[in-house]
Amino acid sequence: MQIAKSWRRQPSNLRLEGTRCTACGHLAFPATIRCRQCGQAEFDVYQFTGFGEVVVSSIVYEAPRDFGEHVPYCAAVVRLEEGISIATMITDVDPEDVSPGMPVEMVTRRIAAQGDKGPILYAYKFAPLLENQ
Amino acid sequence: MKNRIEIVGVGMTRAAEEWELGLLDIAIKAAGMALDDAKCDKVDAVVVANALGGALGDQQNLALHVASGLGLEQVETFSVSCDEASGGSAVRLASALIVSGMHETILVVGAEKTSDALPDMLETVRAAGLDSANETSFGFSPTIAAALGMQQYLSTYKLDKELFFHIAKVAHAHGATNRNAMFRWTLEPAQYNKSPIVATPLSVCDNAPPCDGAAALVVKKASAQTSRVCILGSANVAVEKGIVHPITRLSLPAATESAKAAWSESGCDRSAMSFFELHDSNAFLAILSIEAVGLAEPGEALMRAAAGDFHLKGPSPLWTFGGHKSRGHAPGAGGIYQIVEAVLGLRGDAGENQVLNADKAMVQCLGSFGAQAVTHVLG
Repeated sequence: MQIAKSWRRQPSNLRLEGTRCTACGHLAFPATIRCRQCGQAEFDVYQFTGFGEVVVSSIVYEAPRDFGEHVPYCAAVVRLEEGISIATMITDVDPEDVSPGMPVEMVTRRIAAQGDKGPILYAYKFAPLLENQ
Repeated sequence: MKNRIEIVGVGMTRAAEEWELGLLDIAIKAAGMALDDAKCDKVDAVVVANALGGALGDQQNLALHVASGLGLEQVETFSVSCDEASGGSAVRLASALIVSGMHETILVVGAEKTSDALPDMLETVRAAGLDSANETSFGFSPTIAAALGMQQYLSTYKLDKELFFHIAKVAHAHGATNRNAMFRWTLEPAQYNKSPIVATPLSVCDNAPPCDGAAALVVKKASAQTSRVCILGSANVAVEKGIVHPITRLSLPAATESAKAAWSESGCDRSAMSFFELHDSNAFLAILSIEAVGLAEPGEALMRAAAGDFHLKGPSPLWTFGGHKSRGHAPGAGGIYQIVEAVLGLRGDAGENQVLNADKAMVQCLGSFGAQAVTHVLG
């Protein structure tokens, strides 16, 4: 991801910020500039809690360029507790141990680096929820 | 369709790794074949579909270069890039230009060159049709999305992964007799079961192989008494983007609505179709497509395939020349290949891939993991 694009995406990538439409209350992640439900263009920043559960997961053995360092990694769809589903990686756990319904929380991790000298993207992944939570 | 479009010429190159030919070469080769078939040396416009050329650092504005390479002067050119729905979209555009009265005869070409790219680069560029900021940048690709979808499908309907063999089997059974196919062999269970896993549970055999290839049509407004294959109806429908939607819902509403609209325009319904060419870039989109257009109830596509429904002599012949899975997958050209193959089937020129007494066919291609669907009804 280009440096400017990464900088522009910091609120969603690092803080899981989206938007809530002031007219209809529709939640969007990532943030939007026009509500796809009612068409209004005024929003509050909405901080998603970062908690959710795994809907489905897959262990990836052949990755796209820039993601080879993670192989094998766990790709998943996670449903946030606000009801929005997102595509994300699951980390801090053996991919074999990830299963549907597993409670997870957002963590910040290294996503990809563009070669040896390119920018490094840090953003959200999801990890199993600690037991004391 | 009130203003029918007739297909007066078709051509296609073999689907293969064409080390000695570039993107422009294969596009011109297929275009020349279509012009020869149409006995036509003059067109008003050239529309070219291509999904990956620009992103792979090859050729942009391909239509201009194809027209120039063919020696076509004073023509209007359009380059169409709608991910894997590029081919169908290009034909839609050409039809609209004719129906509007702007042009009379149009050359439509789909071309793709994948073999120059290393596999991880190709997968990255193919992923550019997804949401680049929220999916591609996080390590997702169509293949990984398909793996998640397959897993969700198997879990939801409590099925064994081995059933997916029957999807690949149908395609290979038909591709085996297609002289333009990349993989001309039938598939056995042992081969399928030992196929390397790309992302669980998806194996190499569940993905259509990338290839180089080009296909082309010459289209014009149909005369009242034409006996040529015509476009009877078509539709291009887009819905909310995002790989999570087909994965979690196990449905393709764009495919369903696009099919309904095209059938409505044609005055026919599914039961009138002699055969089908649906999108099978991977096994997950293949089974959702089958269910989306009503060839199987939700959760039953694999069983219908296992029962033989989709073979040439079955009740709903599908992928009559092997589909993307056996013929080869040239993403931006795939939609044109499908139509060229359907035209051959409707002309009675399909040889060993002929569906007997075929008089109508439905062709559908998908873009951006099923968020876009372009359907054509031919007859």
